[in-house]
Amino acid sequence: MAVASTLANGMLQVEGNVEDAAKVLALGLATGFGAIGPGAGVGYLMGKTVEAVARQPELRGEILSLMFLGLALTEAIVFYALLMGFVAFFIG
Amino acid sequence: MSLRRSWRALSALAIACLLAAPTLALGQTEEEEDEFDPSLEFELDPYISLEIGPLDLSINKAVIYLLLAAIICIGVGIFVVRGGLRQRPTGAQNLVELVYEFTERQIARPTLTESVFSRYFPYIATLFMFLAVSNLISFIPLPVSHESGTFPFGIPDLGLYAATANINVTLGLTLVTFIAYNYEGIRAHGPVGYAKTLVPPAPRVIKPFIAALEVLSQLLRLVSLSVRLFANLLAGHLLIIMCAGFVVLLGNFAGILAIPVGVFFYVFEWVLIAGLQAFIFAMLSGIYIGFAVEAAH
Repeated sequence: MAVASTLANGMLQVEGNVEDAAKVLALGLATGFGAIGPGAGVGYLMGKTVEAVARQPELRGEILSLMFLGLALTEAIVFYALLMGFVAFFIG
Repeated sequence: MSLRRSWRALSALAIACLLAAPTLALGQTEEEEDEFDPSLEFELDPYISLEIGPLDLSINKAVIYLLLAAIICIGVGIFVVRGGLRQRPTGAQNLVELVYEFTERQIARPTLTESVFSRYFPYIATLFMFLAVSNLISFIPLPVSHESGTFPFGIPDLGLYAATANINVTLGLTLVTFIAYNYEGIRAHGPVGYAKTLVPPAPRVIKPFIAALEVLSQLLRLVSLSVRLFANLLAGHLLIIMCAGFVVLLGNFAGILAIPVGVFFYVFEWVLIAGLQAFIFAMLSGIYIGFAVEAAH
């Protein structure tokens, strides 16, 4: 890592530590990419919930309860990616 | 604007300022430091060191929070039952009955089968209550920060900490669920029968691969169940702390724009995520136990 950072410093005239830059980049990329899938998933889930309630308004309570279950399960995927970003940033 | 509307707007502003107070309290503690490291809030320094051989049983921040959550849960229960349960409930009994009805109707009944219901309903309900209380008290600013200086006698500054933002806590609870559902599965089907439920109906050639995949996904349940709760709480708190300390992070006062974002996250996390994650953990535990008992491939 020291060799790489010296080389990088020499070639790119970078100020600052390449390792720190890589950590920050890892955090940003992890957060960004990790939000794509669950974003689409949650939107789809909500759309389906609205459709289901529109079709059968009397089942609103049960459908909402299922929606919350699905919501938490898909939101968790964001946090798996965010966690890895934090691990890279604070520990890596 | 009518008097009522302006009063409502003023009280909303006052509430927002009050909620911003903890985030600002966090921001102010970092003024003297050169570096703003929010991960230091999650370091556990022992208050009372108790090392028995290789075991480190020191009383630290997380232990205090866990004890607090347990005392609240047990205390509310004892307080309600001691006074005598009434046919027409009032006050605290109403609240406890609400929680009981919620856990029975929404979490335990749909997930646990009849044979294990009476044995595991207390576990699922306790899981939900303990985790909900544990998550909710983590948003109350208490003097547990890693810095001190605002208060005399060396009392630390106000800070936020969640016991469940520690992988050890969530992993411990996950292990209990893991052992419980495997034990119930082996009890219901016998060890060979339970192993057979892991093998899905598939063409003979690819059966071993899919069986291996099933075993892997069962083991990954350990990871997913614990990390889901842990990462939700940790990320939420880290976001709040970073938004609160954004002024220090940037170095100039443009960071004050992050305070409303921090307040939004604070309210969002406290109102929605805290209870929802506890509900999800309890629900998934119930689902795993129910599936293990009734699974028939």
